[in-house]
Amino acid sequence: MRGKGTVTPLSSVFSVEDTQKAAKRVQDTIAQKDLELDHLRGFAADNTDLINLVARLPEHLHHDIMVPFGKAAFFPGRLVHTNEFMVLLGEGYYAERTSKQTVDILNRRGKVLESQVDSLKAMVQDLKAEASFFNATATEAAEGLVEIVEDYEEESSSDRECTPKQDYANNSRAVIAQPADEDEEFARMMARMDELEKEEREAESHMAQSDEDEQLQHGLHQLSDQKSLHGNLKISEQYQSRKPPEQTKDGIASNEDSFTDVPSGSGLVSKYEVSHENILGRDVKSVAEKDLVSPVVENVQTVPLSRSQVSLESSKPKFDREKAFTGSIVEHADNLQIKSRERTTAISQSSASQVSKPVSRFKMQRK
Amino acid sequence: MGSSSAQRELQRELEAKANDLSKIQKDISKNHQVRKKYTIQLGENELVLKELDLLSEDANVFKLIGPVLVKQDLAEARANVRKRIEYISAELKRLDATLQDMEEKQNSKKEAIFKVQQRIQSLQAGKAKA
Repeated sequence: MRGKGTVTPLSSVFSVEDTQKAAKRVQDTIAQKDLELDHLRGFAADNTDLINLVARLPEHLHHDIMVPFGKAAFFPGRLVHTNEFMVLLGEGYYAERTSKQTVDILNRRGKVLESQVDSLKAMVQDLKAEASFFNATATEAAEGLVEIVEDYEEESSSDRECTPKQDYANNSRAVIAQPADEDEEFARMMARMDELEKEEREAESHMAQSDEDEQLQHGLHQLSDQKSLHGNLKISEQYQSRKPPEQTKDGIASNEDSFTDVPSGSGLVSKYEVSHENILGRDVKSVAEKDLVSPVVENVQTVPLSRSQVSLESSKPKFDREKAFTGSIVEHADNLQIKSRERTTAISQSSASQVSKPVSRFKMQRK
Repeated sequence: MGSSSAQRELQRELEAKANDLSKIQKDISKNHQVRKKYTIQLGENELVLKELDLLSEDANVFKLIGPVLVKQDLAEARANVRKRIEYISAELKRLDATLQDMEEKQNSKKEAIFKVQQRIQSLQAGKAKA
């Protein structure tokens, strides 16, 4: 693979110790703030208790209590004037108030405390987010995670776009939005495709539509085989049965960064089969499918199955667009059929992968 | 030899600058603490003023001076609290200005240290080449 990027181990960008120290620092601040929060919460609890007490006192004219005397003594006494309170307003200022007024003062104080608690909580939240980020970076740096940066190659992608566009000029939806990538394989594929195209044009075959379809399908199968894990074929077939309305285009569009191999491959096949199902005699549509298939096929590459699943799912909603396509594609039907067939054949030939029975039949027919 | 003595000088410079920087940083942290205290006091005083304003005119207000509760005039108490609030706000503003000053000094010191470090590095690189 062409390596046109930089590989930077995370540990170099943020040294392991530094990240750990930073994480620790944030943890300490969090602990501090937590202590303060507990403090404030204690105040709030005391406040509510006091409010209850002050509210209850005026119920009696006098209360019999044990009065504290010094540090270690009490004596029995009486609490009189049960409705008069000397309330501390703050900063050494006291005010004489009744029970009800005192309760009001205490309530206001409680509100202030609450707002302080809320602001502290918000701070702790932010700190915790910071801490989690630091911890993550610390663990990543420790594990030796590497940051890979690769350039987006505009030129190569535009080149690839040209070739398919030539063939399917009527395909307005340039699904051929080839993902920008630096894969040599892809370039090779494209070059091979071009060669095969030429060969096809020279040697025109007049195979029956059904044969073409079969071949194309086999070719597609071959493609997916060759590019992706063996046995994906069957899985892709399963995919087809499960998600018929997959759109290859969507597969391509959704996988811009990676080559939509299995997904596109399976998507292609599924679409193809769907077209077959829906438009039995309509070669046009099948041709259209092929058109879509071919550019998608080019994108085929090894991709884990899970990814293909994702792309397949994402491609579902765009199925309707396909049906609108039918008319424009008719014109280039023959050329495209041949081209796609050529491509698939070429691809199958170029790759030294296993050839399933249908593929070999196709091969034999061609040569 | 000349280069090594120059290097030693540079390193001494670096140490001196580093000391200055740490001093400045300590000052900044002290400033922060005092600011915090003043901010809390300001908040409390504002609360007291609010309550005093809510009091009816004939209510008794007392001030705790040492162990003694001294009766105060409501209007007088209000005025006193207001003055305190103004004083604390002025102090806070002054502290803010000092803090800004110190931060600027800190930044300039950091840059100077960085330059000295660069010179040391270039010296060492030169030595290695030679």
